[in-house]
Amino acid sequence: MSSAGTLIEARLRRPGFALDVEATWDERVAVVFGPSGSGKTTLFRTVLGLLPAARARTRLAGVWLEDPERGLRIPTERRGLGWVPQDPTLFPHLSVEQNVRFGAARAGEDAERARRLAIEVLEIGDLLGRRVDGLSGGERQRVAMARALASGPRALLMDEPLAALDLPLRARVLPYLLRLRDELEIPILYITHDPDEAMLVGEVAVVLDAGRVVATGSPREVLWSRSVLPLSEALGLENVIDARAVEAGDTESTVETAVGLRLVVPAPLKRGESVRLGLRAQDVLLAGERPNRLSARNVFEAAVVDCEKRDGSVFVRLAPLSEGARATPDARLVAKITPAAAAELGLRPGASVYVIVKAQALRRLA
Amino acid sequence: MSLDEVASITSLTLRVGLVATAVILPPCLALGYVLARRSFPGKSAVQAVVALPMVLPPVAVGLGLLLLLGRRGPLGWLWSLSGVEVVFTWWAAAIAAAVVGFPLLTRACEQSFAEIDPRFEEVGRSLGLGRMRTFFRVTLPLARRGVFYGMLLAFTRALGEFGATTLVAGIIPGRTETLALGIYSRVQLGDDSGALVLCAASFAIAFAAMLVAEGWLRRSRTAVE
Repeated sequence: MSSAGTLIEARLRRPGFALDVEATWDERVAVVFGPSGSGKTTLFRTVLGLLPAARARTRLAGVWLEDPERGLRIPTERRGLGWVPQDPTLFPHLSVEQNVRFGAARAGEDAERARRLAIEVLEIGDLLGRRVDGLSGGERQRVAMARALASGPRALLMDEPLAALDLPLRARVLPYLLRLRDELEIPILYITHDPDEAMLVGEVAVVLDAGRVVATGSPREVLWSRSVLPLSEALGLENVIDARAVEAGDTESTVETAVGLRLVVPAPLKRGESVRLGLRAQDVLLAGERPNRLSARNVFEAAVVDCEKRDGSVFVRLAPLSEGARATPDARLVAKITPAAAAELGLRPGASVYVIVKAQALRRLA
Repeated sequence: MSLDEVASITSLTLRVGLVATAVILPPCLALGYVLARRSFPGKSAVQAVVALPMVLPPVAVGLGLLLLLGRRGPLGWLWSLSGVEVVFTWWAAAIAAAVVGFPLLTRACEQSFAEIDPRFEEVGRSLGLGRMRTFFRVTLPLARRGVFYGMLLAFTRALGEFGATTLVAGIIPGRTETLALGIYSRVQLGDDSGALVLCAASFAIAFAAMLVAEGWLRRSRTAVE
């Protein structure tokens, strides 16, 4: 672990809930992922220093904020963090401009530059004269991000900035968010319970469940890992596939994954376009022999890696073997089938099966 | 009854009301904030003690003050040390008004602070403002309407204060005679027309205070929401 990295340890007991988190990473952009009630926001509040009852050790990108062993506990106001709460919490007694200027004192000499960058990146120049109550949901969220950014923070903490927005609005705010991520060089902590967002935004994912870290790693890998599977299953995202369009069509296109697996998707794509696809484990069919004359557009051979019985179903992890496909641990798929079907197919590690996926079951994530 | 006399009684009343309200404002803000935001053992007891002057007969409050502030009272040495006599001066009237106004203003502050989502303060602190500055730039501006209303209550209560004031300040014409005391003493003396003139002055002050308050509240409402 490099000393420039981030370390977060947080312990807190409350009636009916315990937070016990230990995580380290070196990446700049981290997503904290988990279902509602898993302790994501509580974790943020300990990083912000807002929970005196919590026992925390926090080092953010090499800067110590709290370390009880050395008696170090920097108060919230001197942590230099740009917090974007889930509900934007804009100050209703101030105009948009006054909101954005609120934290300017902290930015010191850089205040003007930080403010201009915030206004430019989030395109809120036209909103500055407005009153907060006249803003739409998406505008509020952008102003909240600008306010955090204009305070010249050493790191940004964003708590589900898109969660309160409906889908079309999300699509409008998301580009600003990605721009923010790409144009800043400061560390970002980003809370989400949405796996699409987690994979789109994060360089590293810390997965929380019931107040504990269940996995840390690249978002793609951890959302895939065995420990996280029950979570991603609840979210319908057991399989996430990155691919690039190799054949374009008006109604369907063919994409190829990094390991050479070809899939037909029901979307008009441009040749060379990158896509990320989601596939539910229950939408993956298995056959003992190669089926023919099938409506499903995607059929390929795969090797069974392992089987796991859980909650009355069998989860089969598969490594695709189709033409040219190179089997790597990263290329796995998960199928959910009944125990009877698993027995009938004689599934055991190493066995070969045919995988059938309807094009319609491939959901585009990004 | 001369115009000078009415003017002097009116200005004394205003002075008592304004001084009383101004003096209790800082402690009421602080206490109201603590009661709204913190929980601590004995909080209910503190709230009960704060409310006492509001629920006790004002004369009882006055007697308490007299015992406390009089020359032989626990605080009497303080006054004799500085050579100032408080009892039976307009200061005593202001102190009586402050004591009866204190629960009103504290309660108003407590309630308006309690209505403000602590998240606003947390965001303020995360943006680099210490607790004090967050209070003055976030909490107080957001609570200002309730606080102002509490000040208005305390002020108008001070204008009408009678029971406690008669005991600690007496009714000394030209020195401690406020409008309420003046009306009472004139009725006692059979000077009904004088009493009515002072009633009219009371009405004018109260009316003006309400007008100013309503105007301010309306303006602050449109500025915020």
